[in-house]
Amino acid sequence: MRQIIFRREPVEDTARYPGEEAEPGTRPVLTSSQFLAAASAGELAGGGAAVLIGPTDELASLAPHLALLSLIVVDFPKLGDGRGFSQARMLRQRYFYSGELRARGVLKRDQMFFLARCGFDSFDLDPNEDLRAAIAALDTFSVAYQEGSETVIQLQRRAPAA
Amino acid sequence: MYRYDQIDQTLVDERVAQFRDQTRRFLAGELSEDEFRPLRLRNGLYIQRHAPMLRISIPYGLLSTVQLRKLAHIARTYDHGYAHFTTRQNVQYNWPALERVPDILAELATVQMHAIQTSGNSIRNITADPLAGVAPDELIDPRPYCELIRQWVALNPEFSYLPRKFKIALTASPADRAALEIHDVGVRLKRGPQGDIGFEILAGGGLGRTPILAKPIRAFLPQGDLLAYLEAILRVYNRYGRRDNIHKARIKILVRSLGVEEFTRQVEQEFEASREFGPHLSQQEVARMSAFFVPPPYQTLPDTVPPIGGRSTGDPGYDAWLRYNTRGHKMPGYRIVYVSLKKHGEPPGDITAEQMEAVAQLADRVSFGMLRVTHDQNLVLPDVPQRELLAVWRELERLGLAMPNIGTLTDLICCPGLDFCSLANAGSIGVAKQIQARFDDMDYLYDLGPIEIKMSGCMNACGHHHIGHIGILGVDKHGKEWYQITIGGSSTSPAALGEVIGPSVPKEQVAETIERLIEVYLREREADDERFLDVVRRLGVEPFQERVYETNHIPA
Repeated sequence: MRQIIFRREPVEDTARYPGEEAEPGTRPVLTSSQFLAAASAGELAGGGAAVLIGPTDELASLAPHLALLSLIVVDFPKLGDGRGFSQARMLRQRYFYSGELRARGVLKRDQMFFLARCGFDSFDLDPNEDLRAAIAALDTFSVAYQEGSETVIQLQRRAPAA
Repeated sequence: MYRYDQIDQTLVDERVAQFRDQTRRFLAGELSEDEFRPLRLRNGLYIQRHAPMLRISIPYGLLSTVQLRKLAHIARTYDHGYAHFTTRQNVQYNWPALERVPDILAELATVQMHAIQTSGNSIRNITADPLAGVAPDELIDPRPYCELIRQWVALNPEFSYLPRKFKIALTASPADRAALEIHDVGVRLKRGPQGDIGFEILAGGGLGRTPILAKPIRAFLPQGDLLAYLEAILRVYNRYGRRDNIHKARIKILVRSLGVEEFTRQVEQEFEASREFGPHLSQQEVARMSAFFVPPPYQTLPDTVPPIGGRSTGDPGYDAWLRYNTRGHKMPGYRIVYVSLKKHGEPPGDITAEQMEAVAQLADRVSFGMLRVTHDQNLVLPDVPQRELLAVWRELERLGLAMPNIGTLTDLICCPGLDFCSLANAGSIGVAKQIQARFDDMDYLYDLGPIEIKMSGCMNACGHHHIGHIGILGVDKHGKEWYQITIGGSSTSPAALGEVIGPSVPKEQVAETIERLIEVYLREREADDERFLDVVRRLGVEPFQERVYETNHIPA
């Protein structure tokens, strides 16, 4: 069973990514084209859907349907591919997505702080990573210069000049 | 100068702790080399030919004497007793031990310095006019904006894994001593019709394999939108810059492939869509930052230096130094003094621990404890009272830092090359020595007027060879060092990329080739003040080619 970090806790993951076998008690994660087709066909009226987006997926097509989603998984397919940071930031900041936002892929504790600051609250890391250490890495920094979208860490910032 | 508060200090201290743990994990085998590389690069640490190389940030070239003494201490304690100033106003050490780098970073943090984002695919050190705040031709002091951008850039969570490195430069002077057009983004301060401060924004410049000059994408950006607009540029680049080919990943390639108009449209669209959520720069923030850059307590002093080129002081050595190594200051009675790191026979940009300490002592005495680092790899004492100049010259002479060659042919800039860098094809430092030896007659050198030679050991162009009046690029031919020569490049507005004169030349004949270029220049110039660059622009490369390749002296 896959272990992920949700908020600041290690939990067993019930989500099943595209291509993974769905068992009772699990929730399917749709590809973005599956999701868009289902959303347009009115099949997801109950909400609570989940989607996996890749680095080249455009958010503008997803945006009108965000209310149908309670989980967005952003894929980080390669070490050093930072497109998902911008996608997360835009989902939180511009499109006001407030459901679970998960980073999945070639990620370790060293990216946790940046991921959290861009608005991720759920983390499916490299299977070899130590989850306790990764949770601790959320607190690598206690301060920041920029405004962020973080929900799972608290940071001290300089008060605006009066 | 900016001074850290508790927030800044906590950030660099926590960064040191983070890197200490990452280094420990690497040494313990918990992180692979591939996993450690992007982490160490974001702290300026390369694995080089002989040892790691550590690059330390000197934000927009501003350095206090406390910091310079710390750099001397690090050179002596952790390195071979010297340091190397770079073409991006940073400083590098070539011999640190990997295990001790966390200790070096901890030492730096005690003097408000760091190595954050000095390498890697991230936003690098902000560079600026090295004479900011003291140059007579400056419109507005750019340093508060440099620091505001520095803070916005530091550990910016969205832009820490870009397609490639990203360099931002600022200037507020028509002379453009920051070479805006070779940067990913250039910011030129200007005033709007109502006298309000704003910025012209350029994007898409860069050297390397595919040299391209930046293009204007916004004629006037209001002050409050500076960070939001940079965010829009970075977001477009982060999402659409190429990641499949390292040689096509800089923003210049994105701008070129989209076309500047389409790129601009995308940036403006992103800016409009996110401006209400993006960072806004308030007048109060600018005022708070500007308070760090108030002028030092200048005295009211008369001008005592004779007009340059006029009456002699009676000492030709001092005359030459005054003329070449000092510049006019915005305050009467003061002058800007260059500390030349271009002594003939020494690697350009290198300085010993003893020299650093002595320069710090001098700057404490005559320049309010402040220094500048230039992208020509020299240091500057920005605020020297004219009555101190003779004493300053004598002291710099004693230190070997008064070579009166600033702006001349031997004030050449060069990368560390084969001697240190694992990327290089060529021993740039050896070639620099060869050129300095050939042009060691100072009267001859002065007769040649201002000539910028820039040399890179490989296509990565750390020595900015494309924008040298004479550019020299090391290339590997069957395991031997050869050099490709370009002429007609320029870093200042209007910037230009040099043109290749012909087949590359073997190492032993680089100085001879330059001598031949100079011969043509001296033959063709129509007035003493017509510069080498002007003659190249007037005549094109042909007469130079003819002379260089006219005999089989230089085999093709």
